[in-house]
Amino acid sequence: MTPAHRRRSLTERLYALLLRVYPKRFRARFEEEMRESVRADHAQVREKGTGAVTAFWTRTAAEAVYFGIAERRSGPPDGPRRPSRWTFDWRDAYRSLRATPVVAVVAVLSLALGIGANTALFSILNSVMLKTLPVSAPDQLVVIADGSWTNPIWEQIRDRRVFRQAFAWWSTQMNLADRGESDDVSGVFASGGMFDVLGVHAALGRTFTVADDDRTGGPDGPVAVVSDGFWQRRLGGAPDVIGRRLEVNGLLYTIVGVTPRGFFGPDVGRAADIFVPIGDIAIERGNTGMLDGRSNWWLEIMARLAPGQTIAAATETLQRMQPAIRLSAMPDDWPAKMQADFLSPSEPMKLVSAANGESTLRESYVQPLEIILVVVGAVLIIACANIANLLLARATARRRELSLRLALGASRARVARQLLAESAILSGTGAVLGLAFAQWGSALLVHQLSGREAVVLDLSPDWRVLAFTGGVAVLTALVFGLAPALGVARLEPNEALKEHSRGVIGDRRFGLRNTLVVGQVALSLVLVLGGALFLRTFTSLTTAALGFDPKPMMVLDVNASRVPPTATQARLEGLVEAVRAVPGVAAAALSEITPAGGARWNTLIDPPPGGPALPNKKRLSWVNAVSPDWFKTYSMHVLAGRDVDPRDVTGAPPVAIVNEEFARRFLAGHPVIGAEVRAEEGPTTNTYTVVGLVNDSVYKSARAGFEPVIYFPIAQKSSPKSLTLAVRVAGGSPAGLAASVGRAVARALPEAGFTEHLMTDQLGAAVTQERIVAMLAGFFGGLALLLAALGLYGVTSYSVNRRRAEIGIRLALGADRGGVLRMVIGRVVWLVACGVVVGGALSVWASKFIATLLFNVTPRDPLTFALATAVLFTAALTAGWLPARRAASIDPARVLREE
Amino acid sequence: MDLTRPLTSTALYILLALAERDLHGYAVMQTVREVSGGRVPLRTGSFYRYLSQLIDAGLVVEASGRRASADPRRGADYHLTARGRQVLESERRHLAGLVAAMDALRSSTRKGLA
Repeated sequence: MTPAHRRRSLTERLYALLLRVYPKRFRARFEEEMRESVRADHAQVREKGTGAVTAFWTRTAAEAVYFGIAERRSGPPDGPRRPSRWTFDWRDAYRSLRATPVVAVVAVLSLALGIGANTALFSILNSVMLKTLPVSAPDQLVVIADGSWTNPIWEQIRDRRVFRQAFAWWSTQMNLADRGESDDVSGVFASGGMFDVLGVHAALGRTFTVADDDRTGGPDGPVAVVSDGFWQRRLGGAPDVIGRRLEVNGLLYTIVGVTPRGFFGPDVGRAADIFVPIGDIAIERGNTGMLDGRSNWWLEIMARLAPGQTIAAATETLQRMQPAIRLSAMPDDWPAKMQADFLSPSEPMKLVSAANGESTLRESYVQPLEIILVVVGAVLIIACANIANLLLARATARRRELSLRLALGASRARVARQLLAESAILSGTGAVLGLAFAQWGSALLVHQLSGREAVVLDLSPDWRVLAFTGGVAVLTALVFGLAPALGVARLEPNEALKEHSRGVIGDRRFGLRNTLVVGQVALSLVLVLGGALFLRTFTSLTTAALGFDPKPMMVLDVNASRVPPTATQARLEGLVEAVRAVPGVAAAALSEITPAGGARWNTLIDPPPGGPALPNKKRLSWVNAVSPDWFKTYSMHVLAGRDVDPRDVTGAPPVAIVNEEFARRFLAGHPVIGAEVRAEEGPTTNTYTVVGLVNDSVYKSARAGFEPVIYFPIAQKSSPKSLTLAVRVAGGSPAGLAASVGRAVARALPEAGFTEHLMTDQLGAAVTQERIVAMLAGFFGGLALLLAALGLYGVTSYSVNRRRAEIGIRLALGADRGGVLRMVIGRVVWLVACGVVVGGALSVWASKFIATLLFNVTPRDPLTFALATAVLFTAALTAGWLPARRAASIDPARVLREE
Repeated sequence: MDLTRPLTSTALYILLALAERDLHGYAVMQTVREVSGGRVPLRTGSFYRYLSQLIDAGLVVEASGRRASADPRRGADYHLTARGRQVLESERRHLAGLVAAMDALRSSTRKGLA
């Protein structure tokens, strides 16, 4: 273990980078001290809030650049001065920017926001998509694609030596609490070879090996390896941690090692804290069901290719051995047809690269992240257009100064270079601030991504992030710096000598500025439209009919695995009774599945004879097992027949309750109550009598809507290990009852672990992706609108200033002020109309990329389009109004006198 | 640093801070901020520029030998050289003369008014 050294924050590292502006001899002398000094100041400033910190870093960054250059210019004290035309330009550029601080600050801040947002998104994408696992030779790692495998399959792959090195693992929550409310951490059950295959060595102690992976515990009994984070956080970083006992899921483990910092396990976006061998699951559960069950699909398999072996070659080997593997691991008790499917599956096993690790995060977030990256890219372009406009206006105002320089003998290249240097300083400072902003923003975003389980991503900037930000900064400097620099080419030296002439209309640069504004309006229309569509998707999802009322409800996930199976049924009834007795509780009931809770259970339904023939996909129905009063607890309605009854126990005739969608799909034309439904459950087909019909409700998610569901009495199903207790309160917020309900559960079922959530929180967590996309798209849509409005304001007031004389003369000649107002506003409307046309076309094209992310709204929804256009026009008219008013109030007499 | 010119007040404050005792860089900065009541807005960038100039001019040197208790991250202590003290003293005299001249002028004005 390396000695615990203080980790340097991103800003400190950036400052270290900035110090490179200083000459070497200076750095050799002062670098360490300067970093320390800035760190100390930063610590003080941090207490004053974000504003002070931003100001501090702006000043510090600017100073480092300025003094660094100054230091280089002054040269070594006794050496000759190194004349450099470039450093001259930097100093002039810095001074000239200082002369117009408002322009500089506005430009730097909008750039920082634009570059920062881009970098934040890119760091997340980088971490999810591009960064490789912190293990040795990650490019040799492959996973068997698509889904999970049974332990017998894994053992076949291991024993047949399909790969030189391979391991299987299961990422799951592990409970550290002895009993009562559970204390879950992220854990990994892994086969003994995991650390060897990944090439990860323990930072302290040892990792576990194949010898430890034993169904009876191995030579040292059950052993566990913990992460560096867990060691620091939960075990106080104690050096004597090796050998300590740790109770996980009720089993005592001996801690044998700590993983190195930066190793989070085989999954990306998930930081595992505890690693234990797979074999221990047999001791923990008291049976080998998980390990020997041939239809328990729970393991993922990762392998290391031999040096020089390609993925295709390894896949071929795997597929060649697949029939033998499958034959040896075939579930014996399955019906013949399913066994045949098992032996020759439609999709053979395939290997894919695992260099970047496995990630469910990637699957669910990559598309939204990419869309948001495009959105923030567009925002950056709009910001650049604004700055280009700003600098163009500034360059025009400085025509006299610049032409004077030309007249005094400066070369055009020199003047153009100074303007470019100004842009470079702006974008450089913007990029540095943007990186700091990105660090904060991406951490915030990742925090938002976290649902029940914390998402942990390595967001430290690597060369990709720095190259990305640097590239963006250079590109932006060129984009907005080029136009004014090119303007120098048309500058006449003798212009300075002439009195400035009366407003020249039809200047070419004015045309460029208009084009920029039209582009801005077009892009912001697309972004506002996108933001509106995502907001509507989110609100439709959160207000979508659920079929039950979540507000007065809380749900408790109960782990009853330590309750003796023979007593489970009676004990669970006692649990429900105890919770119902808590004052304020209106109803309580048990189920195996919580609607929209993530877990699912389905079955194939054989339609009754004479019914419509359905393809297999249409024959699937969701399943839940519920206790009496479950529908009442969810405020659902029994529309016909009866609820689950206390008499529906094992031995009594098997019954089922179905929802309306189920009745529509499978029982069309039949009387629902009394219908016989046959369900294929594993190897057997069971027949149930439908005794009740309930209203439709959401099962999987609000997005999936109402689907067929069949409910079985929980007492007729083999006692479940893990179930959900739903509680409805009589009035007020369910949060207030959490403590007393928790106490009742702990009293009634002391050996069970449980976690409590509010139903509304759980539903909220289910729409995290949509919430984040809506939030970001809405925010950046608004930002784009603001920037476009600023751009319009700038270009309009600039044009009014240029046309002061012309407007004054018009007024003097009898034009009415209303006419002037209309003329100016008319131009704004015209510009916006052009932008809307271009933006409309652009959005039609872009709509196909977001269609799959929307819910209940089409990407070309005319109402949303009309709304976005109206918002845009309102913002534009507001922005144009002020300069228009100013134009209308020009005093013709004063204008004429000025000339 | 051009020593024929009077020192800037910032450089003077830095010398003043070191006149009392040897200090490491950050402590010098803190002392200047405190003593000047925040009027000299010394920040890392500007401070080290001044410091390097003062070192180049031979007014300040790195103190030889490091205090045992000092935080190694803070870097070296700085020490005012004899030449530095001289310059500080001559500045002091120069400024005292200036203040005396101003006081004399003010009191004579007052007398004139009386």
